Amino acid sequence: MRLFDWRLVVVSSVSIFAGVVCSGMLAAAPAETRPQYGGTLRVAMRAAPASLDPAFSDPAEGDSAFSYSANGTPADSFARRSLTWLIFDTLVTIGGNGRVQPALATSWQAAPGNQSGNQHWQFRIRRAVKFHDGTPLSAEIAAASLRFANPAWNVTVTADADSVVIERSTIEPATSDSDLLAELALPRNAIVKRNGDSAPSGTGGFHVVDWKPAKTLTLAADENSWRGRPFLDTIEIEMGKSFREQMTALELGRVDLVEIAPEQTHRLAQEGRRVTSSNPMELLALLFARDAASPDEKLLREALALSIERGSIRSVLLQGAGEPAASLLPNWMSGYEFVFPTGADLPRARQARDLVHTIPMWTLGYESSDPIAHLLAERVALNAKDAGLALQPSSAATADLRLVRIPLASTDPWITLSKVAATADQPAGKESGSVEGLYTSERAMLATRRMIPLFHLPVSYAASATLNNWSLRPDGSWTLADAWLGSGKHD
Amino acid sequence: MQIGGAVYNLAIPNTFLSLTNRSVRPAQIVRGVAHLCCVLLVLAVAAGAADWSVPEQQLARKIVAVTGVGAVALTVENRSSLGQRESEVIQNGLRSALEGVGIRFVKTENVGARVLISLSENPASYVWVAEIRRGEGEAAVVMVSAPRPEGSTVPNESVPLSLHKIPLWAQEDAILDVAVLEENVTPTRIAVLGAESVTLYQLQAGKWQPEQVLSIVHARPWPRDLRGRVIAARDHLLDVYLPGVICRSAGGTPLALNCRETDDPWPLVPAGLSGGVVSNFPSAGSSSFSNGAAIPAVGAFYSAERNFFTGVLTPGLGKFTTVSKFYSAAFLPREKYTLWLFAATDGRVHLIDGVSDQAIGVNWGSDVASLKTFCGAGRQVLAASSDQGDGDSVRAYEFPDRDPVAVSAAVDFAGPISALWTEAKADTAVAVARNRGTGSYEAFRLAIGCSQ
Repeated sequence: MRLFDWRLVVVSSVSIFAGVVCSGMLAAAPAETRPQYGGTLRVAMRAAPASLDPAFSDPAEGDSAFSYSANGTPADSFARRSLTWLIFDTLVTIGGNGRVQPALATSWQAAPGNQSGNQHWQFRIRRAVKFHDGTPLSAEIAAASLRFANPAWNVTVTADADSVVIERSTIEPATSDSDLLAELALPRNAIVKRNGDSAPSGTGGFHVVDWKPAKTLTLAADENSWRGRPFLDTIEIEMGKSFREQMTALELGRVDLVEIAPEQTHRLAQEGRRVTSSNPMELLALLFARDAASPDEKLLREALALSIERGSIRSVLLQGAGEPAASLLPNWMSGYEFVFPTGADLPRARQARDLVHTIPMWTLGYESSDPIAHLLAERVALNAKDAGLALQPSSAATADLRLVRIPLASTDPWITLSKVAATADQPAGKESGSVEGLYTSERAMLATRRMIPLFHLPVSYAASATLNNWSLRPDGSWTLADAWLGSGKHD
Repeated sequence: MQIGGAVYNLAIPNTFLSLTNRSVRPAQIVRGVAHLCCVLLVLAVAAGAADWSVPEQQLARKIVAVTGVGAVALTVENRSSLGQRESEVIQNGLRSALEGVGIRFVKTENVGARVLISLSENPASYVWVAEIRRGEGEAAVVMVSAPRPEGSTVPNESVPLSLHKIPLWAQEDAILDVAVLEENVTPTRIAVLGAESVTLYQLQAGKWQPEQVLSIVHARPWPRDLRGRVIAARDHLLDVYLPGVICRSAGGTPLALNCRETDDPWPLVPAGLSGGVVSNFPSAGSSSFSNGAAIPAVGAFYSAERNFFTGVLTPGLGKFTTVSKFYSAAFLPREKYTLWLFAATDGRVHLIDGVSDQAIGVNWGSDVASLKTFCGAGRQVLAASSDQGDGDSVRAYEFPDRDPVAVSAAVDFAGPISALWTEAKADTAVAVARNRGTGSYEAFRLAIGCSQ
C-alpha cells in the first residue's frame, strides 16, 4: 500500500492554482472600448430573396419551412426583416418597451376634416433626409411608397407638402390608433424610392453596392445617413446557405454572423459560442388546408390537438429550445398564454375520437428543406396514432394539414394576431382594444381548429468574437447599425 | 403621440465631494448625509407608491360576475417582473377588493369556485388573469390590464472607499456631459449636454428646476457614438464642443447659444490647470488647485465624422505634434515635464513625455481622465474598464514611474460608460453611464477621498 504523498498534493495544487491564475490572466476579457469605425462584416443566411423591395411578394424565397403569402401579404422572414432595416427606414418604429418612436416621421396626429368616419392620420416627414441615390425624402415619395405597399389605403399629401395623410377604412380588421402605428412600423411599410428595374433606394444606414438576387448582397455605409454613419464600412451577405454551411463558415472564420437552428442553441452555447436568441417570435403549428367541414372533423382536430406531447418533443427534438404552445401569441406578447393548457391529454383525445365513426387518413405535409420538420411530423403522427388517429407525413406540396413556421409579424399582439389569421385565411376578430378582447379574439380563432399551435420558438444567431455591439430587434431581426468590429478587423 | 424623454430630478447633496475639500466641516458632512438619506427615502417611498386600486376593483367585479357572491378558494401567483413586496401589496389589494364585492375566502377547495389569479405582463402593461373553475369543467377566464407606473429609478449609490460616485443627473435621453456651473457645497446649477441641446437646471427649494433649453444648431448629422463636452467658462457661461461644431453661450436674458461649424481643437487640459486660456475660448478661471506651475493648454482636433481625436495636437508635446488617434487623454505633471496618456483607438494606452512614445499593456477601456487632489501623490488618473458583469467600472491609478498602480477600489456602474471627462476645476470628473436595467443615462461626479 502506497503512502499518501502530500508533496505531490502541494505541487499539484500549486500547479493548478498557477494554471488557473495564468489562464485567468490570459482569458481576461478585453476592456470595453468605444466603437471602432471600419471593417467588413460578413453574414450568411438561409433565405434567398429575389428582391430587396420590402413590399415584394415572393413566397418561394423564405427561410421558413412554410412561407406564406395569403391575401397578397408579402412573404415574411426574419432575414428579410434584417435586410430591410439595413437599407430602409419606416415612418415610426416600435421600441423594446412597445412604445412608438419617431423615425422618418417626426410627429403625427389625427388629421382634421375627418368626415367620412374613417381614420385620418397625418405624419410630418423629417426634413434633410436623402435617399441613397441623392433624392431628398419628400412627402410625395413617402405617400407613393405606402400606397404601393397598401393598395387599400388612401394616402395623400398635405397642401404644404410636408406631411403624409393616411386614411383607412374603419371596417378593416385592425383599426385603432396604435394598430396603425404598429402597422407602419412593419418592414413592409418601409419608405422606398422605387427606381424601375434597378434596386430600390432607401434612407437606411447602408446603401447597395452590389446585388445578385438570391445569391449575394454587398452594402456600404452611407456617409450621410440621417442617423449617423454606421461604424462598419461594408457588409457582405451570402444567401441560400443551410444552417450547416453557415456554422462551418463561422468555424472557419469566413463569416462573422450566422443563423442557427433553435435546437442547436443549447449545444453551441455550451461549446462557448457567442449565441444570441430573441424572445419567441416564431410560431410552429399545424395548419389545416381548409376549415373543418363538419362537427365530426372538428372533434378529430380537437383529438389531434390533445394528443400531442409538446413537452417531450421540446426536450428531445428541440433540445429544450422554445416553449410549448397551445396559443397563437407567446406569453411575453400577450401576458395570458398560460391559460391555454399545453399538456397532452390522451384520455380526452380518445374520448373525442370515439365520438366519430369514420376516421380519415390525413396527410401531414412538411418542408423537406427544414432540417427538423420531418422528425417533428413523424413524432406528431406517432402521438396521433396513440389517440386512434391516422396521419401520414409527406413532403408533397399538397396535404390535408401542414407543419408550418410562421414568423410573428410584430411585437404588437393585435397586428401579430391579424397576420396569423391571414395565414390561415381567417378574419381577425376585433372584440375591443383591451387585453380581454385580445384573448377573446384569439380564443375564437383557436376554436375553429384551423390551426393547432405547437411551439413558440426564438430566433437565434451566432457571432464571431470580433463582432461587437450587434443586437436583436424585438421582431427577431438583427440590427447592425451600431455594430463594430474589434481589433484586427477594421481598416 | 411623440414620446418625450421623461426626466427625473435628484437633489443629491455633494456629500462625498466635500471629503476632498478641507474647508468643509464635519457637521456639513453629517447634514449632507442626512439630506441624502431623506431624499433617497422619499424617492423609495414614492417609487413604491403605485396605485393598483383601479385594476384590483375591475378584476374583482369581473370575478364576482362569474362566481357570484359567496365563498371561493383563492390562489394568487406572480408570473411577472413585479417584486415580492409589490406582488404582496397587490395580493392584499385584490383580497380587499374581492371582499368588497361580497366574496369570502375559504381554504378548502370543496367550494363552489376555485379562483387562480396570475399576475402576468406583456410589453405594454401588467396583465392580471383570473381562471375560475367550478368542478372539473373548463375554466372561465377574465382579465384586466394595469398600466406600468412611470419608472422612477434611484441611481445606485456608491459604496464610498477612496473613489466616490455622486449622482448628478439622470434622464432617458443621452447625456454627453454635465458641467456644474454653480455650487455651494453641492451643485446648485448645472448644464446637461444632450445631442441637440444644452439644458440648464437650477436647484430651488431642494428640487431641480429646468431653467432654459439652449438648442444646438448643426447642419450635418451627428456621427454615431456621439461625444461632446460642456465646459463652464469665466467670462461667459459655457462652451460646448461637439464633432465639427463649437458653441459659445451669449449673454443676455434669455441666454443664447451661438454655434459654428469648425474643426477647431478641443481642450485637453482643464482651464483650472492651464491658467484659464484654452483653445479659442477663454474658459473658466483658475482653481484653488492651480498652486503648481500652469500646464500648457493643449488642444486636440476631434474628428467631425467619427468618435475619436485625430491625433493632431496644438501645441505639440515636445517633438510630437501628432500622436495615434485616441479616444481620451490624461496627464501627470512631473518635475521637468508632463507625462501624457492617450487611450488610442488601437486599444492601447500610449505614454508620451515629449521625447518618447511608449505603449503600455493595461487592460483599460477607452476613457481616461486626470484628477488633481490633495490625496496620495496628488495626481491620479481615472480609467474606465469593462468587468465581467453587466456594467463598466472606474478605478483611480497613480504612476510612480511608467506603470500604473491602482490606488482605489473600482467603482461600478450599472452599464457601459459613455463619457468620462475631467471637470473644469480638475479635482473631480464627470462620468456618464447608460443603465442597462432602466435604459436611462446617469451622470455622476467622481471625486477622490483621502481615506479609505
